[in-house]
Amino acid sequence: MKFAIAVYSPAHSPASRRALLFAQAVLAQGHQLLRVFFYQDGVHTASSNIVTAQDETDTASQWRAFVVEHQIDAVVCIAAALRRGVLDEEEARRYQRTAANLSQPWQLSGLGQLHEAAQQADRLVSFGGH
Amino acid sequence: MSTLHVLSHSPFSDQRLHSCLRLLGDDDAILLSGDAVYALAPGSEPWAALASAGVAVFALAEDAQARALPNNPGVELLDYPAFVELTLAYEKVNSWL
Amino acid sequence: MAKSMLIISRQAPWAGPAAREALDIALAGGAYDLPLAMLFLDDGVYQLLDTQAPAALQQKNLAANLQALPLFGVEEVFVCSASLAQRGLASSGLALPAQALADAQLRELLARFDLVVTL
Repeated sequence: MKFAIAVYSPAHSPASRRALLFAQAVLAQGHQLLRVFFYQDGVHTASSNIVTAQDETDTASQWRAFVVEHQIDAVVCIAAALRRGVLDEEEARRYQRTAANLSQPWQLSGLGQLHEAAQQADRLVSFGGH
Repeated sequence: MSTLHVLSHSPFSDQRLHSCLRLLGDDDAILLSGDAVYALAPGSEPWAALASAGVAVFALAEDAQARALPNNPGVELLDYPAFVELTLAYEKVNSWL
Repeated sequence: MAKSMLIISRQAPWAGPAAREALDIALAGGAYDLPLAMLFLDDGVYQLLDTQAPAALQQKNLAANLQALPLFGVEEVFVCSASLAQRGLASSGLALPAQALADAQLRELLARFDLVVTL
């Protein structure tokens, strides 16, 4: 079966950890993960500037490792990202900001990608809030 | 079409459970995750509301265990593989974000 | 055949970007001609009041975005009667034509969509 996952809260939230564990279980059960779409505060997951304390779980790094290992289509909503200061090189240049903090494997794109994934998947499962 | 409702906020500080129960269909189910597992507190008003909702109630095992909530016979505790399979047992998943 | 999506918006208009970001999901889907509907529930019903003056908060008036919904093909807009009543609000004189539904009707509404997103 095909899954699409949407993540609305940042990497340090319990919801993000649950989303990642769910995503891992989707693949472990032999299902397909079409896309993980990051929206609202979920866009912070893609920031390359996150520094996690030694005694805390680094969910952002775990997401990155998961996306890279399984070549997951990890899309970050561009409008939500800009609003929150998560920019790739292109956007940093476009808006003349001093730093880009989003790079591969993350990709900025529009909400159309959320809809496309929702249309193609058998299930869309969203994680957010707390 | 049946819906699996996923809750993750504490029922004591938040209206999501209450609203979910109003919109619940007969064939729906509820999965409690994160702080929403506090709704399993025996003798509590949220538990009473859930118990009388007439739908299947599930909870993420790790969240119930972390909070040392007593085992509730009416509620199936799930690990992540079971969570994945549960989403396939209902036609859609509605997370109360 | 395209899957239908119901977007449930529960946040008050100026409780951060949530209200705007829920609406953006609807507008994006509408732009792709997807069958969508919106339901305003709980504090989300406050988004529909047309007597608001958000400029006092240096906030944008969402009404313009809401009015774009039918332009993007999102014609089915619903509002929860109980949420309105709880807040002492009438179902008439809202910023956009919205069908007020009682709880039993909301249950039926949820059941008929392929996808539901609750923000």
